[in-house]
Amino acid sequence: MSLPRWLSSLAEKSIAWEGPLIRNRGRTLQANIRMSTNTAEIPALLRLMTWLSPAFPTGGFAYSHGIEWAVEAGDVCCPQSTQAWIADILVYGSGKNDALLLRAAHRAGDDQEGLFRIASLARAISGSAERLLETEAQGTAFSAAALPWGGIAPLPYPVAVGALAGRYRIAEDDAVLAYLHALSSNFVSAAIRLIPLGQTQGLEILAALEPTVVQVCSSTQRLSLEDLGGACFRSDIASMRHETQYTRLFRT
Amino acid sequence: MQVVTLNTAGGITGGDVFQSNFLLEEGSAATITTQAPERIYRALPFSPPASVRHSVTLGPGAMVEWLPQETILFNGAFLRRQLCVTLAADSCFLGVEAVVFGRTHRGERVSSGFLSDTVRIVHDGALLLHDAVHLSGPIADILARPAVARGGVAVATLWFVSPDAAAALEAVRAVLKEEDSGASVWNNMLVSRIVAREGAELRARLISLLQVLRKGEKLPRVWMC
Repeated sequence: MSLPRWLSSLAEKSIAWEGPLIRNRGRTLQANIRMSTNTAEIPALLRLMTWLSPAFPTGGFAYSHGIEWAVEAGDVCCPQSTQAWIADILVYGSGKNDALLLRAAHRAGDDQEGLFRIASLARAISGSAERLLETEAQGTAFSAAALPWGGIAPLPYPVAVGALAGRYRIAEDDAVLAYLHALSSNFVSAAIRLIPLGQTQGLEILAALEPTVVQVCSSTQRLSLEDLGGACFRSDIASMRHETQYTRLFRT
Repeated sequence: MQVVTLNTAGGITGGDVFQSNFLLEEGSAATITTQAPERIYRALPFSPPASVRHSVTLGPGAMVEWLPQETILFNGAFLRRQLCVTLAADSCFLGVEAVVFGRTHRGERVSSGFLSDTVRIVHDGALLLHDAVHLSGPIADILARPAVARGGVAVATLWFVSPDAAAALEAVRAVLKEEDSGASVWNNMLVSRIVAREGAELRARLISLLQVLRKGEKLPRVWMC
């Protein structure tokens, strides 16, 4: 189904929304994305909301993924350019790769050796010193904060989220959607502070990014770690140049 | 020692399989380059991808410079490429991969194609780097995206694994003044990316970067032809 058609079908159906967003999508995707809806699974959703909430102390507010440099360089300067930049990261950069790492960690189950292998891949693909810091520091903070849920070894952020969600049998697609949502809202929040944008404009960007988040979730379902990779060269460069940016609000 | 490889077929197309393995013994040093830029031609419909696999293994104290000339992707190219570098604890590696999407001086555009280009570096038994460029479908449109290449059609990545990596960063940054380039160091590895509008500009910027890292030593002569 084409994107415009899908969007309009989404708008139609959302009025009669009685459960999963995805159930209202075209047939091809309907079968693919599983959302937790029945009452028995509510605790899973509840935990996911806690873990990926901005209130969960991963320190996400301190990391901009190089967006601070993109603002300095003029690449990100208005709602449209913010949305385009974040969409690129989601589709061609860390969004896609983190989704694949999260999925692999989710599937690893109790295989500790497998998890450490995924973790070393997550570190090796990070692309710059600050991006390594971003995934390590948030992952370590996430792991520490997960103590009330049994705790988890310090792992890069998407790997830690995937491992914990897998342990609690939270549907893999739910975890990916929640993770990508947290990632994009964190980027939007950075842009709001840096450009600056108004809160309403920020929310408009987030709303406009919804189809991209869903697209990355569904397009990564059948992929494996073999498919890790992207093309966000200028986002990588922004992260490298941020290291020497004169005035900085963000750690990355 | 300088090694110049030559593809006598004059290019690569769908279904071609190329493989090379280099083994550097303890304390040896080599510069590996290509006779000419590698051309990746259009693959026929339904043909398998061109497959190129290189592996470079370094013994203790060995040093390799992996300096192939740029790869030129034609419209409809379908390429899977992998470079695996295995380093001992004290061996050093300087590597470059440059890709130009279409011969810009001829107005060519890669409106569709596929590229999966992976570089893996294992250092002292641990995975140090996994760099994977993945572009599929309307490549020129994707390259036009702001966080991808903002319309640039020539991209290079450089890796320098050495105890001297951190010390080289400042000099590297001094030659990377242009907006669309950057460098970073972590785990004794320097990584630099350059995005350029076209191939000749990329080559010029890459040469000045390599000159800094090679302390002014002349590039292999094939680079200058």
